[in-house]
Amino acid sequence: MISLRGVSLLYPNGVRALDDVSLEIAKGEFVFLVGHSGTGKSSLLRLLYRETRPTAGDITVDGIRVDHLTSMRVPALRRHLGVVFQDFKLLPDKTVWENVAFAMQVTGAPTKDIMRQVPRALDLVGLSHRSRMYPDELSGGEQQRTAIARALVNNPKILLCDEPTGNLDPANTTEIVDLLLRINLKGTTVVVATHNQAVVDRMRRRVVRLDNGKITTDKERGYYYLGLGQSQVLSG
Amino acid sequence: MDWGRVKFFLGEVGRSFTRNTVMQITAIGTVAVMVTLLGAFLFIRTTLADLGNGVLEQIEISAYLDPNVTPQQVAALRAAFKADPRITSAEFIPKSEGLKELRERMRGVVDTSLLTQNPLPDKFRIRVRAPELVPAVAADLHRLNGIGNVVYGQALVERLLRLGIVLRRIGMVLIGVFLIVAGIIISNTTRLAVYARRREIAIMQLVGATNLYVRMPFICEGLIDGLIGAIAAIIVLGVARVTVWPRMLEALPFVQFNAAVVDLPSLVLQLLLVGGIVGVLAAWISVGRYLQT
Ligand SMILES: Nc1ncnc2c1ncn2[C@@H]1O[C@H](COP(=O)(O)OP(=O)(O)OP(=O)(O)O)[C@@H](O)[C@H]1O
Ligand SMILES: [Mg+2]
Repeated sequence: MISLRGVSLLYPNGVRALDDVSLEIAKGEFVFLVGHSGTGKSSLLRLLYRETRPTAGDITVDGIRVDHLTSMRVPALRRHLGVVFQDFKLLPDKTVWENVAFAMQVTGAPTKDIMRQVPRALDLVGLSHRSRMYPDELSGGEQQRTAIARALVNNPKILLCDEPTGNLDPANTTEIVDLLLRINLKGTTVVVATHNQAVVDRMRRRVVRLDNGKITTDKERGYYYLGLGQSQVLSG
Repeated sequence: MDWGRVKFFLGEVGRSFTRNTVMQITAIGTVAVMVTLLGAFLFIRTTLADLGNGVLEQIEISAYLDPNVTPQQVAALRAAFKADPRITSAEFIPKSEGLKELRERMRGVVDTSLLTQNPLPDKFRIRVRAPELVPAVAADLHRLNGIGNVVYGQALVERLLRLGIVLRRIGMVLIGVFLIVAGIIISNTTRLAVYARRREIAIMQLVGATNLYVRMPFICEGLIDGLIGAIAAIIVLGVARVTVWPRMLEALPFVQFNAAVVDLPSLVLQLLLVGGIVGVLAAWISVGRYLQT
């Protein structure tokens, strides 16, 4: 579903954000992307939704060669992807319903599809009762759920999350992570970049660790540190 | 027709348009001023051009005949004038009539009764199709058999020709400057509108809106700015046409304007078109720049 081969990213200011990264993510996987601040997690995600282009290497997302993509074709790629950020990126002057519908309206979807899919997405994130409210009337967790509903409303096969719980308290964090898990169980491939050790350690999913732009650990059912379980660390 | 889609789109345009009222008014005002100046200029230029043509009709070439010209030569000259496509009329003026005209013109200036004999030769009074032809035709006439002196209002012709060229050049420059100024103001407005909506734009791009879709509200905004400005200008011009214009005619009695030659519907259409095109182009360029970076 997602494939990177020998990908390097050198920013114009000389920072090497990614250095010869190769990574395969299969359909339906749930992957945590961890690592210190500034090691290139966000940069890697930006490459996947073609906000940035790699300096070297091949990137394929859902069968599309992203590194070669002309800007004309970027919209088509983005319609296959959902992207969620730490700061939600909701429009303050639109209601929950309008924020979610926005993602369909601006891609020219017919009204009858919008009327069908927006309630479905709101139902999935458990916000049907909040649909007429504005973002500043919601809790952080509810705002993030709105953003997730917007990311999912076009039924993407892949959901990319950059620090989705970075602004949330532990209760809301748990809620969002559980939601991401449910979305993953419905078949969506989910990639989450995070600093949150508790979340990673509790979930026991695939963990890809970046250090200075290189993948240093890639472990199924891994932990935040070294991809090893604490018990293993202790016993070993 | 998907009315939900139409409503959403109009809502977006309206929201963008009303967000920064001061800037919109500035843009519309600038376009209005520019289009008013442009319209006034086009109007006056057309009426003046007509004036020019009117005066030129009075410009005649006097081709004086040699004193010992034969009737055959005169007949040949008539045929030559007829065959020349540049010449619209050639009138034979015998010297007796020429003298009468001269006496008329000089009445009160010179005592013409002192003229005891007629000093004038016979002549042809020749008119040509266009002012710029006068010097060339005069030179050609000079070469014909049986023709002596060729005289025309050289200074007047040249002045009129120069005036026409100068007016056209000033017009080009003015039109260019007007359009550029209006374009800059609109593109500035667009830039502010784009900046005010950068969050929306970022989200639109993130969820896969096409560039055209992202541009559309701003283009519509530019179009509306341009058209409203042009309409305001047309109203101002219409009012000026009935209030200022008659006074101007009174104030300048020696210049003959002919307002009837102006094709008003086509002028109105031209101004609307100019306003709309400037608005769309300026907005298009301005959003395009933003989207590329
Ligand atoms: N647009 C940019 N231009 C230049 N350098 C950048 C840009 N974005 C990021 N960088 C640099 O690239 C490196 C990787 O940044 P990135 O944002 O990918 O890290 P990250 O792992 O997401 O960090 P964090 O956990 O703090 O979000 C950093 O050194 C950063 O300074
Ligand atoms: Mg980051």
